[in-house]
Amino acid sequence: MNWNLFLTELVAGITHGSVYALIALGYSMVYGILKLLNFAHGDVYMVGSFVGFGIISLFGGSENLSVNSWVLLLVMLLCAMLAGGLLGVMIERFAYRRLRTAPRIAPLITALGVAFFLENSAQLLLGAQYQSYNSYGWHGGSLWAEGFTLPSGVHVGMPQIIAVVGAVVLMLGLTGFVQRTQLGKAMRATSFDREAAAMMGIDVDKVIVATFFIGSALAGAAGVFNGLVYQQVWPYMGFQAGLYAFIAAVVGGIGNLPGAVIGGLVIGLAQSFSIGYISSTFSDAIVFAILIAVMILRPSGVLGRAAVQKV
Amino acid sequence: MTESESPDLPARPDEAQVPRIGVDEWVATHAGRTQLGRLQQRLSGVPSLGFYFLFGAIAAFVPVMTGNAYVVRVGFDTLLYMLLALGLNITVGYAGLLDLGYIAFYGFGAYTYAMLASPQFGIHWSTLAVIPVAVVATAILGFLVALPSRRLVGDYLAIVTLFFGQLFVTVYQNGESMSFLGFTRQVNATGGPNGIPNIDPFHAFGAKVTTVRGYFYVALIVFMLALFAVYLVDRSRTGRAWKSLREDPLAAELMGMPVNRLKLVAFSFGAAIAGLAGTMFAALNTAVFAADFDVPTLIIVYAMLILGGAGSLGGVIVGALIVNVSLEVLRTPDHATYVFYLLLLATLVAKLRPWRVLAVVLGGTIGFGYVVHAIVSSAAPTWVHGSASVGGWFGSWLEGWALHNDTPGTVGKFLFVLLVLAILGVMTLEGWWQKLAMIPTLYLAAVVWENVLVVEPSVTRLILVGVILIVLMNARPQGLLGTARVEIV
Amino acid sequence: MSKFRRVGAVALVAGVLAAVVATSAFATSAKAKGCGTVSIGMLAPITGPAGSIGSDQLHWAQYFIDTWNKSGQKPTLKLVQGDTQLDPSKASTVAQQFASDKTIVGVIGPAGSDEVQAVAGILGNAGLAFTSGSATRVSLTAGPLKGFFFRDVPNDGVQGPTDANYMTKTLGVQSGDGVMIVDDQESYSTGLADIVQAALKAKGVNVDRESVSQKANDFSSLIAKVTSSTKVVFLPFQIASEAQLFAQQLKAQGKSAVVFGSDGTFDSSKFNAPGAYVSFFAPDVTTIAADAKIVAGFHKVYPGATSPFGAPNYVLAQMYATAIQQVCQKTGTATRKAVRLQLAKTSLSSTILGTPMKFDANGDVAGAAFHIFKIQPDGSYKTVA
Repeated sequence: MNWNLFLTELVAGITHGSVYALIALGYSMVYGILKLLNFAHGDVYMVGSFVGFGIISLFGGSENLSVNSWVLLLVMLLCAMLAGGLLGVMIERFAYRRLRTAPRIAPLITALGVAFFLENSAQLLLGAQYQSYNSYGWHGGSLWAEGFTLPSGVHVGMPQIIAVVGAVVLMLGLTGFVQRTQLGKAMRATSFDREAAAMMGIDVDKVIVATFFIGSALAGAAGVFNGLVYQQVWPYMGFQAGLYAFIAAVVGGIGNLPGAVIGGLVIGLAQSFSIGYISSTFSDAIVFAILIAVMILRPSGVLGRAAVQKV
Repeated sequence: MTESESPDLPARPDEAQVPRIGVDEWVATHAGRTQLGRLQQRLSGVPSLGFYFLFGAIAAFVPVMTGNAYVVRVGFDTLLYMLLALGLNITVGYAGLLDLGYIAFYGFGAYTYAMLASPQFGIHWSTLAVIPVAVVATAILGFLVALPSRRLVGDYLAIVTLFFGQLFVTVYQNGESMSFLGFTRQVNATGGPNGIPNIDPFHAFGAKVTTVRGYFYVALIVFMLALFAVYLVDRSRTGRAWKSLREDPLAAELMGMPVNRLKLVAFSFGAAIAGLAGTMFAALNTAVFAADFDVPTLIIVYAMLILGGAGSLGGVIVGALIVNVSLEVLRTPDHATYVFYLLLLATLVAKLRPWRVLAVVLGGTIGFGYVVHAIVSSAAPTWVHGSASVGGWFGSWLEGWALHNDTPGTVGKFLFVLLVLAILGVMTLEGWWQKLAMIPTLYLAAVVWENVLVVEPSVTRLILVGVILIVLMNARPQGLLGTARVEIV
Repeated sequence: MSKFRRVGAVALVAGVLAAVVATSAFATSAKAKGCGTVSIGMLAPITGPAGSIGSDQLHWAQYFIDTWNKSGQKPTLKLVQGDTQLDPSKASTVAQQFASDKTIVGVIGPAGSDEVQAVAGILGNAGLAFTSGSATRVSLTAGPLKGFFFRDVPNDGVQGPTDANYMTKTLGVQSGDGVMIVDDQESYSTGLADIVQAALKAKGVNVDRESVSQKANDFSSLIAKVTSSTKVVFLPFQIASEAQLFAQQLKAQGKSAVVFGSDGTFDSSKFNAPGAYVSFFAPDVTTIAADAKIVAGFHKVYPGATSPFGAPNYVLAQMYATAIQQVCQKTGTATRKAVRLQLAKTSLSSTILGTPMKFDANGDVAGAAFHIFKIQPDGSYKTVA
């Protein structure tokens, strides 16, 4: 057995899967509460990624950074999460709020409208060119040199560790928040039955705004992690990522937070292993074929429980 | 606005038989009270077939009125989109099945036509043979996709069909040499990213369709026939069954409806129409590429259907017209400029009542503009020396009123962001404050248009389409011609 | 009432749109004018996933036209842009628009080889010349498009063998060694990859042909398949920064294979991994001293980096401008046919690409050659062949 190949694919899959998982979390949260497929979510991720890129430029560009990598990273994450969160709240307020009682498919179209608007505004303002975080160049590449080496010589760079650990921390924080806090409980109640929650005195508006803020902030963080590991940022990056995140959310059981994480990892691993072992050309096709099989065997997702039909 | 769905008040005893599936009693009564609701009711008294014939007749005159092949081509594209939206209307609008792999059926039809009538495999069947084969094959494919998806509900169905659509694109995009498990075979099935070129045009009985105009009429006839067929199905037992399935699958099942069979039929029927559209696409373009059948096209078709009103045949026509025609009109900067200013004006006229408020805002904006222009011309003269987006008297007036800079640079981008924030701000304000805030916002909109947006018409076009989608859906959540329904949760 | 107003607005908008369409239908069928203002159409993927390429192509062509008009040259030129989103069917709708617009006498673009094929019939029937700065499939100029289709970039038939030769002759790739070729699943990339693959296989090299979607941004899974016998990784990519990421991830995984990029990756600001090779048909625009002023002027209007697919469109606009000027001086009327015939004869003694420009009988660049560059430790490009 070629352990080098196996471990490399494993690392690649887990890293990519963590980014998908973070985006999928936001997707799943919003879905849980509003039953809305927020197709603009991928573009929030794009904006987060660009905010991170802006911070790098602000501190002198990737080649001659004026601050420590860790400080930079912290500032990037905070700014991207804040920007993502605020953007999410604004999208909810102006594109979705009035459609809460409308047929479910109507906000789908406003979501597409928001996606068009954000992608093309980004191109108008920032240009269509690919930009690069170039984390390989930060302080002479010190960040990538750090990290640890697995048996058979597979090196795991610090950015990959940061992305995975960061994603795990955010997920745990979110789970704790949803399980323990007052607002988290309100979210679960709203997601279970919005009308009943409102009757119990829960301020549903506030809960929805909080959901959008948190979910979008996670997408913003995912944007920074993605840039840190995979370097590139461009206005249309959100489209494909949003699609994969949507898939991850559904595969894991939409509305189910641990499910979103598992879905993200499943997709990341399926992608990298099919590239490594089967065929790079048809890796996407293979991933989709696997997922179709999964969905048919478990129609409500890996962790999803068969919904009790309310009549 | 199909007859069977129109809210009609007060209900006479003999009319109580008309199934009003999904029409909430309160919503219906409420709709009947507004002026427009009354107008709608009067219009719905006209048989909808009359409207369709009127549409067909007007459309048939388009190529006669203009010798411009581009207009005819856009007409053809629009008809193709209408046909696609019509098929999607069956799956999504009637049966309520969110099918995100729909576009693959379109592609499958196109590729089937391409493979059976091109030098790719040296097969050149007659069009009269290829079209039925392609349509039936697509219907069978739709059936096969739906088969394992029967047990899936709601968004799980959406995701499996999305996978199917992606699977289709990936396979066709790479189908020129299959590499699998390290085993490569050079079978050129789909031409890969180079597609299948040199496809035969429609030909039958020794005659060939070669002009865009010819294809326009073919598409119009096919669309009208398909529309009529769907109209009949809509009013049939199956059509009613679909709608009850959409409203409440559980209740439908309890009533003894063959839910699974209904789903399969809806899928196949929708797929067949998409396949039909695909054959026309392939024949006119004489080449097919997998890239044409990816998610962006799906998004456009969905936008048309939902904007027009899912479940409404008239909505299919209106939605496709609005989306495709505005996409094309906005291509040309001159037209886009007029559309932009007229849209602003139309919004103001519709939103601001009474008239004196409108007069104050308009007058205020014009006055505000002259003041700003005067101040800026002394402070930063480069901002008044640019040229306007359009010529003529309107352009020269704009130059004396709005700021123009040929190289707005970063300031222009800053203004764009400011404009977006200002518009959102105006939306949150109320009363006179809102009217006051409108004045600088409107002026800012004109300045941003002249300096930033019109410079990049291709990007602006899509920004505007995004805004139009958001605004229209917020204005009429049920779609322009859809019936207001209450979602049963 | 409020609902009535809103719907009224919608109706008004729809009416206005309909009115604009109706007027545009009649307005654009205006007759060709003499040499007052002459229009050139531009087909490019200005928005969408390939927007980075298309917007750059548009900006370079636009920059030439603006410079031309500002310097007072006659006739005044106008660039009409048409966004194709790299979608052949959208390209043919826009091509139809250009064909129907009688003020347009020539077309720059489209970008992709498949798009060229899709629009060929429409533009050809309308008598329009069309010129691409990025469609490099060999067969395009060999066939029936002769006299209508031109390109100012050498085709894959020139680049492929040059690259394969360099690998076997200079980089020491021998029979039995491995080369990995990764295409990005669109027609430029697969076409070039096929040619290089065939040339290497003929020499007995073990070729591992892989492909990733252009939308992908992770290559580490693929790089795991690079073995110690893999000497070279050939990347016919359209996006330079993807080649950069590939090289960086290759290095991070401790692999020693040499990265070799095609002309699509030729951009020293994006792809600058030391030790890698790039092939290109001209010197680096950003390094030619004589071009410094033009490049600086360009960046003043369009800040940010540029792609290798951009500058050839500046030259195409220049070719058209020269041809149109000559036609106007001779006959006073710029017709499509006259421009097309003149374009075939036009030659520029020097261009910003650093080479003279003239089309051969097929419409390809006359005397085209490819150069190989090696990326230096400081990230700059140095010509090595």
